Amino acid sequence: MSEGAKTSPHRGGFRFKVRGPRDFYGGLALIALAIIALLASGDLPGQQGFAFGPGTAPRMFATLLAVIGAVVALTGLFVDGEPIGHFALRGPAYVVVAILLFALTIRGFTLGSLRLPPLGLVPSTFIAFIVSIMGSSEMRWIESLIAAVAMTIFCVLLFVYLLQLPFQLWPWV
Amino acid sequence: MTDLFSNLWLGFSIAAQPYNLGFCLLGAFVGTLVGVLPGIGTVATVAMLLPITFGLPPVGALIMLAGIYYGAQYGGSTTSILVNIPGEATSVVTCLDGHQMARQGRAGAALSIAAIGSFIAGCVSTVLVAALGVPLTSIALLFGPAEYFSLMVLGLIFAVVLAKGSVPKAIAMIVLGLLLSMIGSDLETGAGRMTFDIPELSDGIGFTNVAMGLFGFAEIIRNLEMSQESRDIVKGKIKGLMPTRQDLKDSAGPIARGTILGSILGILPGGGAVVASFAAYTFEKRISRHPERFGRGAIQGVAAPESANNAAAQTSFIPLLTLGIPPNAVMALMVGAMTIHGIVPGPQVMTKQPELFWGMIASMWLGNLMLIIINLPLVGLWVSLLRVPYRLLFPSIIVFCCIGIYSINNSPTDVVIAAVFGLFGYWLVKHDFEPAPLVLAFVLGPLMEENLRRAMLIARGDPTVFVTRPISAGLILISVALLAIAMLPMIRKRRDEVFVE
Repeated sequence: MSEGAKTSPHRGGFRFKVRGPRDFYGGLALIALAIIALLASGDLPGQQGFAFGPGTAPRMFATLLAVIGAVVALTGLFVDGEPIGHFALRGPAYVVVAILLFALTIRGFTLGSLRLPPLGLVPSTFIAFIVSIMGSSEMRWIESLIAAVAMTIFCVLLFVYLLQLPFQLWPWV
Repeated sequence: MTDLFSNLWLGFSIAAQPYNLGFCLLGAFVGTLVGVLPGIGTVATVAMLLPITFGLPPVGALIMLAGIYYGAQYGGSTTSILVNIPGEATSVVTCLDGHQMARQGRAGAALSIAAIGSFIAGCVSTVLVAALGVPLTSIALLFGPAEYFSLMVLGLIFAVVLAKGSVPKAIAMIVLGLLLSMIGSDLETGAGRMTFDIPELSDGIGFTNVAMGLFGFAEIIRNLEMSQESRDIVKGKIKGLMPTRQDLKDSAGPIARGTILGSILGILPGGGAVVASFAAYTFEKRISRHPERFGRGAIQGVAAPESANNAAAQTSFIPLLTLGIPPNAVMALMVGAMTIHGIVPGPQVMTKQPELFWGMIASMWLGNLMLIIINLPLVGLWVSLLRVPYRLLFPSIIVFCCIGIYSINNSPTDVVIAAVFGLFGYWLVKHDFEPAPLVLAFVLGPLMEENLRRAMLIARGDPTVFVTRPISAGLILISVALLAIAMLPMIRKRRDEVFVE
């Protein structure tokens, strides 16, 4: 595995070479999460007498996470590991936007003067389907539209008629 | 012994009610339907289908969920055999020989042996669950807060040992899961913890959001990276479903050994089913007189792991039903489902709600029977489902998950939280962190903290209580020993080999 270190991308600005970037940056991120948790639970009352306060356990585990994060990061510094894989942008972006659009349109939202009325299950499902399918590089329009209509009908039948869940179907109901 | 039979009788009289029978059948069917889809594992399937059981009565809902679980597992095997894409970790081994059999035109025999093996394993382990239920429940009564805490530590350590990859990283996932579970109102004082003044977080993060994000959305995002059109689906009609006499003779031993191995490993907390199928395969290969046939379409290589993973799936209900502690991520989802129906899993379920406890156990056996009944005739349907291109499949899954998450609390925020966990899960995979220990810790978190705090209070703030009470000390000792073993370089190498194979 000594070859791995040589082929791994050089990161300028570091005085020493990171041998296992997956572990190193993963560990750093864990430490960051631990610090956020420590800050967020800092104002909670701690131990009182023999009883744990609400803040004791979160601080305990956040500290533990920071320590383990440091161990993981140090491992990445000294032990050879694989480079971090390529992060795709297109797929995740479309998928996340589709999910967020669903969340925003199903109940509507108010943001300052901007107000979107609830669109209901049918439009929300259709929009989320079309947007997420655009994340695929093999997308074809006609086929996608047919599939979106079919899936919307299936979901309405399943959730509204079969499972009897209370959903608003259209914007105008 | 007569108790056992009268209990099982009670169970069957509940499970055989037309409604419950229907839920069981429906669960097994939709579980297989979703489990067959390539790239969707058991945990994702159960998480996705969880919302559709919420409207049912508690007994029906749990019976249906159990059906979904077995269906998902069997669906995963079907995909492994026909397409060579394991839907999940437990069916990775089935790919090796199952797909080779399919290429030699013996897909039918492979599928039916998988079903028969699973059924036999299911029968044996159902009786085992019923027989062990009562004695284990009486052990649970000896447990105080300190013992419960130590037991959960042991469970989490098991999850660390059985996770693939680095031990510190698996521990990090556990601690992160525990930390995430503490978001929301404090158990005793009601103070909001780490909520960042977001009102939606005051009740904590819902476990379904975490599970769907980490297992559903993250999986889809990751699959989108790969080209999906290079699937190797077995062409032509599948004929000759019935295995030959020789097939049955060859499989009898592997099924029996797989069942025993799987039943034992399933009880252990931390992800029994995966290890069980690997262990059963390796064991068969080692004792076989023709180890060279393995990997080239040996029917033993399908029979043993399939029986083992089904037996393990079944016996993993034991710790959940008797001690209230979920041994793996799927059981963690079951805890969530039980909580939503107002059932606190644990020893009291058996005494207070015997019809639920025994009904569920009886439905396990019925669920296995239904898998045989629905799967063999419907193989054609599953094959045509496998031909649906992924580009149409993944948006359907996303939309389905969105509606499912939203319908639990009618909360758009839940959907957003799941999306965040989806991205986080994608990041985790890129950095070789495993999400399964995180989810297990997330579910055990509140229970663990409650018992930790209670134990400390009773012991007047003395932390040595965990090592001075004998049962607790024993559990802690086993945990430490396991962790030490997992860290040993020699065993680590062996462990990696098992996961690589």
